[in-house]
Amino acid sequence: MARLVAKAVSKTYGATKALRRGDLEVEAGEVHVLIGSNGSGKSTLCKIVAGSVRPDGGQLLLEGRPMTVSGPEAARKLGIGIFYQELSLAAHRSVAENILLSDLPGGLFVNRGALNAKAQRYIDLFQGVTGDDFHADATVETLRPDQRQLVEIMKALSSEAPVLIFDEPTSALDRAQVDRFFEILRRLKDDGRSIVFISHRMDEIFALGDRVTVIRDGETVATKRIAETDPAEVIRLMVGGEETLVAAEPHQPTVVAATAKTVLAVSGLSGAGFRDVSFNVAAGEILGLGGLHGQGQSTVLRALFGAPSPTSGSVQLNGATLNPSSPRATIGRGLAYVSGDRRRDGVISGRPILENVTPIHAVKQRLALASPSALRAKAKPALEALRTKFATFNHPISSLSGGNQQKIVIARWLIDRPDVLLLDDPTKGIDLSAKTDLFQLIRKLAAEGMAIVLYSSEDAELLGNADRILVFNGGRITRELTGEQRTRFNLYQAAYEAGEAA
Amino acid sequence: MTTDLVAAPHKRQAHGLKRAIERFPFLPALIILVALLVLNGVYQPRSVSFVGITGLVKTYLALMLLAVAQTYVIYAGDIDLSAGAIVSLVNVTIITAMTALGGDTGAVIAGLGIGLAVGLACGVVNGIVVAALRLQAIVATFATSIFFTGLALYVMPVAGTPAPTAFWRTYGGRILDIPFVLYAVIILAVLLVVLARTKLAVRLLSVGDDQQAAYQSGLPVTRIRLQGYALCGLFAALAAFCITGDTASGDPLVGGKMTLNSVAAVVLGGTALAGGFGTVTGSVIGALIIGLIGSLVFFVGTPSEWQNLVQGVAILMALMAGILVGRRARR
Repeated sequence: MARLVAKAVSKTYGATKALRRGDLEVEAGEVHVLIGSNGSGKSTLCKIVAGSVRPDGGQLLLEGRPMTVSGPEAARKLGIGIFYQELSLAAHRSVAENILLSDLPGGLFVNRGALNAKAQRYIDLFQGVTGDDFHADATVETLRPDQRQLVEIMKALSSEAPVLIFDEPTSALDRAQVDRFFEILRRLKDDGRSIVFISHRMDEIFALGDRVTVIRDGETVATKRIAETDPAEVIRLMVGGEETLVAAEPHQPTVVAATAKTVLAVSGLSGAGFRDVSFNVAAGEILGLGGLHGQGQSTVLRALFGAPSPTSGSVQLNGATLNPSSPRATIGRGLAYVSGDRRRDGVISGRPILENVTPIHAVKQRLALASPSALRAKAKPALEALRTKFATFNHPISSLSGGNQQKIVIARWLIDRPDVLLLDDPTKGIDLSAKTDLFQLIRKLAAEGMAIVLYSSEDAELLGNADRILVFNGGRITRELTGEQRTRFNLYQAAYEAGEAA
Repeated sequence: MTTDLVAAPHKRQAHGLKRAIERFPFLPALIILVALLVLNGVYQPRSVSFVGITGLVKTYLALMLLAVAQTYVIYAGDIDLSAGAIVSLVNVTIITAMTALGGDTGAVIAGLGIGLAVGLACGVVNGIVVAALRLQAIVATFATSIFFTGLALYVMPVAGTPAPTAFWRTYGGRILDIPFVLYAVIILAVLLVVLARTKLAVRLLSVGDDQQAAYQSGLPVTRIRLQGYALCGLFAALAAFCITGDTASGDPLVGGKMTLNSVAAVVLGGTALAGGFGTVTGSVIGALIIGLIGSLVFFVGTPSEWQNLVQGVAILMALMAGILVGRRARR
């Protein structure tokens, strides 16, 4: 008998059907992977099980008995713990307080000693991979994104629940952290816990999962044993069969002619988190930045964009000196920056799609007044180039799935073409078909002569798209991979061997 | 993992100050308080004497308590615009009750009990309206403030009923040659330290930090917010006791102007109005700052028609100074 069963669970928000028919069966002692493109309803299904979203229909069974979950508090009491993709942390509270927030030790008063001792048990699980300044008393606000994600993981683990749900728990983690986390999950599985695991990373799914349930457009499509399937089949189930896939093999590097002119020349760039970074990007080239997570790749891209500006070094754009003093200055000179952190850097939440596509155009053209129809005419081709799905320009951007939101954010740079496109892990948390559209566009832009710098936390994306890859470690470029060297093996090796040297 | 070694020492130093402000968000307010004390001393040396300070505390203990009351609500990201009205209602209720019961010591104690019950009831009403019925805190408590003031006017339509002698003599008097209000301050300090260690304080702050996250973490958000309002009501009752002791009479409108002063005191004390971050100590200091600005404006000899204007500008400056110091340190 399955420990947790969801039968035909549904949820509607206004006009959007977030979940049409969610079915899920999770056994004791298994890691059950839930996969589906963004907006397919995975997170909604998980939140329904965890009590933070109330279903409109369907049935939930726990240990064979029907259960109604009145809220997250009730779910926790029933023995369901969850890791939220968007994290559920109190930024001003300490790590220990966050880990045990819903179950602070003590009666009327907080027993600080017991709190820290208990929290330390969960922190110790990640000993050696938490990074600097991570301790029970640290304020969550002061932590890096990967460290916050670890806190959320510890918080979920601290529920000691028989059913544990992890909604994309690894998106900000580096490889060592992921490896440790998987070790812990395997141990929990052997203890008989049921683990629901959502991830967009195929390698993780096949490394960890026992079974996989695929959700497409709010409906459960199939459940397969991992041992009896392969990535290609899972992807076919996910996208419905016909879509083209992100190339799994390294693409043929565009032969950038020796005469191709250098668009961006960076030399001796230093700033907070990176030192002495130099590279050139030619017109039509896609330059990849790789290595373990958080080794300075993002900060270099942000520094080039002027957010914040680098402390020393020089940048030449089309042969002229560029002073990246602020994003406004660099945008004016023809730079574009797309961040993977849409919520922080990209989306203007609560505003219509049109307003989200046109701000850069307005800045570049110094628009004081503009007619919506003229703007719509300009926005349309940019959105079509990305195959963006949206109802009307007046819908708020929040009505779109993560992948389509990111397309909107990218489209805003395409109305007036930039010379250099800086992509900072642009596909974080977006689904495979949106990724496919995105990379097709990026290659097309490169073919048309744009210089592109791409940082991706997914090696496959770098290998599949970049003409050259610079491997970062400890804020420096430690290796360059070109041509035939661009293999997964070399990339792993460069990231790790450099890590040991530093 | 190695980080940038070159930038490290500078970063660490800035980190130290940042840490100090993070642990003691009221530090900027404390500096302003000391500066104001010095200025008061310069213009009126007697104001920083033992008697002067006692007088200051006696007058502003009510505001200090109301600022504390307000802090617990603001912790959770809410606000209580009825805090002053609760003070008024408790003020007239206890005087009416004490007088009706004969005005002796027993009557005073019974009256205080009734006052606490009234304050608690008002807080619970606010909590139900805001947390359970989910009305906007700012508008809902504005409405309840009118309601509470209406009740106060019903209990005592005209200001002026004197408080029982036993009550205000104790408040303004001395025990073992030490002014009563100083005992009150010590008890308040102990109470605040104890309350800061409760689960409720951590939970209120967590709710204020991110209500959705707190809910998803399994915290009973509605109950926690309601408890915040209840605690606020209790402290508003304590504030009413102090103002009753200070003025020695009943006035159905006595607390009205204290509401926004209490909010200002909380903000001056370094507590985030959006919730999730702050200290009650800061609010007490903030209340004293507002008090000291008032007395300083008087001591410098500001003509009476200019006093409001100067006081307003001075509070604005104190706010700005606090924010600038805080921002500097955070960088």
